[in-house]
Amino acid sequence: MNPEQLTLFLQISAWLTGFEEVELQGTGMVDTYFKKACDENTAENVGYFFAEVAFILTSTEDQPEQTTALIQSRLMPNSSYNNMAKQITLMWYTGQWFADPAGNPQDSVQINAQSYVQGLMWTAAQTHPPGAKQPGYGSWAEQPITIPSI
Amino acid sequence: MKKKKYDVVVVGSGIAGAVLAKVLTQAGKDVLLMEAGLQAGMAFKPEEDYANYQSYLNQFYESTIKATNTPYPDITDAPSIGVLEIEAKTPYDTGYLVQLGPLPFASDCLRGPGGTTLHWLGNVPRMLPNDFQMKSRYGHGVDWPICYEDLVPYYEMAENEIGVAGDVASQQGPDMSRDNYGADYVFPMEEIPQSYQDQVWMKNSNGLEVNLYGQTYTINCISMPQGRNSNPNNDYRIDGTKWDKHDQKLKLTYTDENYEVIGSNWAAYTGERCEGNASCVPICPIQAKYNALKTLKKAKRKHLEIITQSVASTLMINEESGKISGVVYKKYKEAASKEYTTSVARGKIYVLACSAIENAKILLASNAANSSDQVGRNLMDHQVFLTWGLLPEKVYPYRGPGCTTYIPTFRDGEFRKDFAAWISPIDNWGWSWPTFAPGSDVTNAVITNGLFGKALRDHINDVVPRQALLHFECEQPPCPNNRVTIDPKYKDQLDNFRPVIQYNSSDYMRKSFEAAKKVSDQIFAANGIEDFSAYSPTEADYVTWQGRGYTFRGAGHIVGTHRMGSDPATSVVDTNQRTWDHKNLYLAGCGNMPTLGTSNPTLTMTALTFQAAEAILQQLNR
Repeated sequence: MNPEQLTLFLQISAWLTGFEEVELQGTGMVDTYFKKACDENTAENVGYFFAEVAFILTSTEDQPEQTTALIQSRLMPNSSYNNMAKQITLMWYTGQWFADPAGNPQDSVQINAQSYVQGLMWTAAQTHPPGAKQPGYGSWAEQPITIPSI
Repeated sequence: MKKKKYDVVVVGSGIAGAVLAKVLTQAGKDVLLMEAGLQAGMAFKPEEDYANYQSYLNQFYESTIKATNTPYPDITDAPSIGVLEIEAKTPYDTGYLVQLGPLPFASDCLRGPGGTTLHWLGNVPRMLPNDFQMKSRYGHGVDWPICYEDLVPYYEMAENEIGVAGDVASQQGPDMSRDNYGADYVFPMEEIPQSYQDQVWMKNSNGLEVNLYGQTYTINCISMPQGRNSNPNNDYRIDGTKWDKHDQKLKLTYTDENYEVIGSNWAAYTGERCEGNASCVPICPIQAKYNALKTLKKAKRKHLEIITQSVASTLMINEESGKISGVVYKKYKEAASKEYTTSVARGKIYVLACSAIENAKILLASNAANSSDQVGRNLMDHQVFLTWGLLPEKVYPYRGPGCTTYIPTFRDGEFRKDFAAWISPIDNWGWSWPTFAPGSDVTNAVITNGLFGKALRDHINDVVPRQALLHFECEQPPCPNNRVTIDPKYKDQLDNFRPVIQYNSSDYMRKSFEAAKKVSDQIFAANGIEDFSAYSPTEADYVTWQGRGYTFRGAGHIVGTHRMGSDPATSVVDTNQRTWDHKNLYLAGCGNMPTLGTSNPTLTMTALTFQAAEAILQQLNR
């Protein structure tokens, strides 16, 4: 595991998902997802992707609007880095790996049991994954408790 | 307790088989219970039980597509129906069912220890008195040979066995009031709290007048009785059932003690309350939801022999007496193994309790119980029409049990002469059923719209918590051409028959989809819901009515393939659920139901099973 790339992975994951780094680390999935993203792409593509990520984050430090704009223009197009940015975003939200998001969006595979439980889409929707992290008896009769974001 | 000949041989360990095993062994009868599924699912030692159940949960987590049978082993030796196998174009033969059409049958059940109660939702409303008289009142289907009042004591047994949480007083609607239950009756546990979402719906829907074909109907939303654990109702005094030898009756017993909530099978203190896992279908991780293995655990073990991985194949019939003389079954060595041994189980009395489809299959394969030519016919389901949209405010779905509130307004009325009645559960789980949300919301946002970062999170947070879904579970009347048959061309790897299905949706049903949409439109308007319902000709079970298209889905309520009646010429079993043709063969399960009503059928089927258990004890003691 390349430690610099791992750090970049966590940083760019926060930008792609809209979740704080500490929230991502709290899922326990950072290493698994980093490895998955690297294993499913060629080393060459991974190298180019993280070089681009490093450039974007360094060149736009403390300028969040610029960072977002560069992610939009340089990482999000289907023509960029085999769609790694979309793959990573989808992976965090659904816990599934999308081999070809643009060409075949139905083709996805659950990475493992924990990746389902830790899917961020449930948190984003102010709920929990069905079958896990149960909120307790009668909790559904009230509005959900939300932990304020940083 | 291995014996050569048992008092009763029961095929199937779902809720019907489990109730029979419990009642009969508690009355001192020796029972052989035969189950097609894997031995691991029949664990009674807590550690093994827990480990096996966790393997179910893990399989659910790690599966990409999550459907009703996903957590459970699908064994090639005794395959289960997979709802994901459904195809729009019939005929086809790509799954367990051979679907001849014209429409594909969309429901499944589970072949394994505990049966379909492992993945059922757990809604347990009773049938209505008028449901038992569909022919004489509304000119459709048939009348039952028994009436609602006959079933009331058995409903109380079933509600005790399942452990129903609900509020009797709020069960108000057409043909339904306090009178249906009796003045002092309460459920074992208090109602499951209605969801936050329900409360928003109720604010705008209770008392709403809707117009349908020139008639006005008033909508009301009431709590759903459910087979899942809540707080015990301290007024509940029923303890269980007991066979009264002297009176030759199965009787309710009473106690001064408060109702004891029954937790998980592996640890009594797990699952004593529903904890809001929101995954009742397909699996309750803590078993706060009732499953049939809880009942089986109460059977008297010294009178019970359980054999698993044993698939009933045919019944042997004594040609002279017409009595059943054995169940031929095939015992496979391990999952997916093609190796099996063939044996015969023998008892004084036999009961098939292995689902409406499997029961019919075994009878047809044995040329048994079919002098009426009704075996396999009258296959029914609730054809579920769904409407969905976005509420103007967040109601936070994907929390709590699948349904905590329902609309009983169209469960009964004169309109049943014209189109099917329905029950309308308000669904707590967003658009997950029709659109695979929220996963599909994420893929649409990311892949189609290129959203990421805070904008993505905000979008999901804006849309998913506003998702509303309404069911219209429409009552399908019996039709002889909707049926299960067998064909030597279609066998499984143990050389047992696979079910061959013919199925359709009549005009009576299609008109009810039109009616349901008209009602939905008015409820949506009152709630400010933006309608996103869409029905496509490419979908399975897409039908048209007067030029407009509707898609229905299966409810998992497989009913009617060996119906009960008062005439041997038109029914398979009598009011004791004994086959007219064989004096020592009973059938148990939803297959006995002559019509479906609008209620989820498990409760009624369980009530009928208590009645069958009583009849079996009477026959054994004769």
